[in-house]
Amino acid sequence: MEFDTKNIALIKALQKDVYLEAEPFQKIADSLGLPLSEVIEKVKELKGLGVIRRFGAALTPAKAGFKTNAMIVWDLEGKEEDKIGEIMASHPRVSHCYIRPPFEGFTYSLYTMTHSNSDEELQDIIKELSEKSGLTRYRILRTVKELKKTSPVYFG
Amino acid sequence: MDSIDREILNIIQSDFPISPEPYAEVGARVGISGEDTLKKVRVLLADGIIRKVGPFFDAAKMGHKSTLCSVQVPDEKVQLVADIISGYPEITHNYLREGRPNLWFTVIAPTEERIAEILSEISEKGGVAPIYNLPAKRMFKVKVDLKIMGS
Repeated sequence: MEFDTKNIALIKALQKDVYLEAEPFQKIADSLGLPLSEVIEKVKELKGLGVIRRFGAALTPAKAGFKTNAMIVWDLEGKEEDKIGEIMASHPRVSHCYIRPPFEGFTYSLYTMTHSNSDEELQDIIKELSEKSGLTRYRILRTVKELKKTSPVYFG
Repeated sequence: MDSIDREILNIIQSDFPISPEPYAEVGARVGISGEDTLKKVRVLLADGIIRKVGPFFDAAKMGHKSTLCSVQVPDEKVQLVADIISGYPEITHNYLREGRPNLWFTVIAPTEERIAEILSEISEKGGVAPIYNLPAKRMFKVKVDLKIMGS
């Protein structure tokens, strides 16, 4: 998608730290010299187009009660990726589900990110995913340390 | 966190009102004032339960390329390589994980050339190789809101 200068200015302004105030969109409108109604309409349009895939709060899983966060990688074992991907993605505790290329010595190509309250619950989720998908070869890549987590800056 | 906090979190994760006074609207839904709602959200942010409030853009629709990369880094070099990686604004997530390879990070940049450039710089400055570049072939789910349970 191509963005004109007006849209780029809006996207830049939308990335500013204004959302912990009573009238955030008014602040954005003021900074751009646009009427509030136009800003609201434009944001809704960007949401409708999927350019903004979500608008709202992002949580820190570990602090919001999800103590065990793990990336689980699965070997597709030659099975059809479409069906397996849908099965994995439909689980409520799976937040991300992607297929990536395998690489040297690493045959796992289905990636799922799971959030759970305990290690016990993580094991239950894995058991469920394994039974539903029929996949049995997987590895749990538990987070040892979060070294960086931020949001990307567009047109920065 | 009380039950109203949980209700607020479940609403504002995916349904933050795009309106003149978003917190007044959320407050009306949970039965408190907009002012009190905003106060609660500020506390949740200060406590680190909320990481950010705002828009999450679709990298591809913004014309950007995104990928996940992994590299095996010896224990004694993890901090050095992590510091190099953290210096790039294009790298948004970086995790030390169990197993081999042990370092996993995401890159979002305007072009694949820029991603390749960043990876070769990291490899050179950190003295680590190979860095595996694993762009998604298929995406089945990208959901960041977590339903908060509890009374």
